[in-house]
Amino acid sequence: MADVAQSVGILEQIRLVAGLRWRILRNSLRKKNNRLDLIGLILAGALSSILVLGLCFAFYAGAYAFFSKGRPGWIASLFWGIFLFWQIFPVLMAGFGASFEFRTLLRFPLSLSAFYVIGLAYGLADFAALASVCWLISMTIGATVAKPGVLPAMLMIVATFVLLNVTLERLIGSWLERLLSRRRTREIFLALFVLSMVSLQFLTPFLNRYGAAARPVFLRFLPYFAWLPPSLAGRALAAVTQLRPAGFLLSSATLLFYLVVLSALLWRRFAAQYRGEELSETAAPLRAVVRPAAKKAEGADGLSLLSPQVAAVVRKEFRYLTRNGFVFLTLLVPPMLVVLFSTQFAGKHPTVSGKAVSAEMFFPGMMAYLILILMAPAYNSFAYEGRGIQTYFMAPLRFREVFLGKNLMLVSVLTLEIVLSLGILASRVGLPSLPMLVATLVAIIFTVVGQITIANWSSLNFPRKLEFGRMRGQRQSGMAVLIAFGTQILLGGISAVILFSGRWTGNPWLPAEAFAFLAAAAVAGYFASLDHLAQLAEKKKETLIEALCR
Amino acid sequence: MPEIAIRTQKLTRRFGNLTAVDGIDLQVTAGQFFGFLGPNGAGKSTTIKMLTGLLAPTAGSMELLGLDFAAHPVEVKRQIGVVPEGMGLFERLTGAEYLQFVGRMYGLDRTTTQRRSNELLEFMQLADRPKTMIADYSHGMQKKLALAAAVIHGPRILFLDEPFEGVDALAAGALKALMARMTERGTTIFLTSHVLEIVERLCSHVAIIHKGRLVAQGSLDELRAGISGEEGSKTTLEQIFLSIVGQDGTERPQLEELSWLM
Repeated sequence: MADVAQSVGILEQIRLVAGLRWRILRNSLRKKNNRLDLIGLILAGALSSILVLGLCFAFYAGAYAFFSKGRPGWIASLFWGIFLFWQIFPVLMAGFGASFEFRTLLRFPLSLSAFYVIGLAYGLADFAALASVCWLISMTIGATVAKPGVLPAMLMIVATFVLLNVTLERLIGSWLERLLSRRRTREIFLALFVLSMVSLQFLTPFLNRYGAAARPVFLRFLPYFAWLPPSLAGRALAAVTQLRPAGFLLSSATLLFYLVVLSALLWRRFAAQYRGEELSETAAPLRAVVRPAAKKAEGADGLSLLSPQVAAVVRKEFRYLTRNGFVFLTLLVPPMLVVLFSTQFAGKHPTVSGKAVSAEMFFPGMMAYLILILMAPAYNSFAYEGRGIQTYFMAPLRFREVFLGKNLMLVSVLTLEIVLSLGILASRVGLPSLPMLVATLVAIIFTVVGQITIANWSSLNFPRKLEFGRMRGQRQSGMAVLIAFGTQILLGGISAVILFSGRWTGNPWLPAEAFAFLAAAAVAGYFASLDHLAQLAEKKKETLIEALCR
Repeated sequence: MPEIAIRTQKLTRRFGNLTAVDGIDLQVTAGQFFGFLGPNGAGKSTTIKMLTGLLAPTAGSMELLGLDFAAHPVEVKRQIGVVPEGMGLFERLTGAEYLQFVGRMYGLDRTTTQRRSNELLEFMQLADRPKTMIADYSHGMQKKLALAAAVIHGPRILFLDEPFEGVDALAAGALKALMARMTERGTTIFLTSHVLEIVERLCSHVAIIHKGRLVAQGSLDELRAGISGEEGSKTTLEQIFLSIVGQDGTERPQLEELSWLM
């Protein structure tokens, strides 16, 4: 008879999971690229710590002030701040999370209760959770210093609040995971998410215009917020200081009721996962009805001027663009931003303040902004190739053809976006003077072609796989981001100096002439670089394949 | 003298301190169905990657169809087809789009690409899902598509890394028949598989790699002849493989060591 594994305690299992996550992080740092990422991670960690510590003082001071100045009910505003941060921040930062699938633990002999507890503990090891707990501790200290008698109630309410938040956060995460398990849903969600983030930019002009009218509506809904967990926590503590035990009991009991309901819902979700809920997105087998393949002959080839290989890459890039909801959406963002900024900073729109920027400045500024957004993905241009990257190396072609195809597609998209934005600018703000218009358009050629050359190099040296419609673990290489940032600052700086040189020298055509020279040099440099990049691709193919095929 | 399809000399690949492929000298004649065997981690996939241009050798040379790979990579690649480990598919294309993409990458004109693509999809029983993206294909369907892509340009050498893994029996039978026909017409097939029965049934010649070194090479009869004893002529490929790879006694853990499992 074979030996049977002994049961392991929940604490030991939590320790094992923590150890596993640590080892995953440590092993990932063995690679040079990942070590460079670590530098970025440490910098981000230091900045985050400063932010958390600074806010700890703010929460301490807030709690102290509310209790010492006889306004204990106002502490609800602090609970609201923490609640919103705890629930919203993980969704916003999902892309930067460690790529560790919690559900993979199900292959081990865990009981459902152990799975549940580990799930909650896992939720507490999150930046939002850790920061929130730090702030809640600061609030507790502040309130206790102001009114020592409130400590027992504060501890009870804060503990309940922590449990409630971690439960709700895990519940939201779990439902999102279920919702996003299918690729199409994931892409729609991601598109809606990005669209809503962009729409937030319109909040200020909206409030400027309709804020006064919306205020009474908001105030009418305010009492309903009193029955939500952060307000209940604040009301319970206010009741303690005002010696209203019934109020305390009612508020804390309602808070506990929320916790019980959320826990029950989370238990249901985890139980479904525990039983082996199938979230696979593999298509169900078709019925045995054989449909004939589409055999329509393709029409005349619109790309017949290109070599078959370059045309094939352009076509493939176009298909990928139309099937990648997120990237496709980024094409909608620049014209939207042109509309947004023109309503705030330029032209004669009613929402523009008195200091409107002239079209002479606004036009080159907007064009620079567009290029900044649209060029960013080019620095990791193989991100979505996945295992397909091997096809490029197996096929009988030189890698310059791959770059030509990819760059041609990028330039086509850029041209379309710039023409569209030009039209919007012309109608909303007006166009600048002819010398400035020409100088800006030639400057676009210089900066775009210059950036493409560097972006191609960066794509070969710092590739990072990204997946369609996924939020978790979708992070560019830190070095690629740094190179993109540095290049854009450098080329943007050069362009700004040249644009202003016309004003300083009194020769309005000087910038256009200077940019024409630089653009010609950039184009020549680009074509000269292609062969070198093809050789580099050959040298770097192992890095590329390893990074993209994992 | 028969044409040599694949010839390597002292082909070596190191990863840091690990020598994955250690100076192997392979020779495959044109039209052979060649099986390349070895235990896990022996260096099979690394060798295939080098032979198909996915990995640069650390030392040594390779000639395919008489062309030095390092000097003429594009000319060589034009004449070979590959189903690599992991298949190398663009998952956001449909099967037809991917085949058209590959066909054009190999320089076929659009009409030929379209025709061959349709025929291959029909043959591989993938034509009934014209709008399904590769990402939504099952593993077996992806494998069949990778095979279709590897042959669309009519390669003279076909490299197949575990081609039947995940493919159903029906399709596997059709594929084997297709491959047999291809070798009859002069195509060289270089195949790795862990299923030794398949290799024994399909391949005329076999090489065995172990710990990065080539430990045996020849026709099945030649390998059988190397087995001592009167049973040599009846020996199966599995027995040959085990006798060669497991001969130092370190490859097959003794069951007695796992007494706790029994």
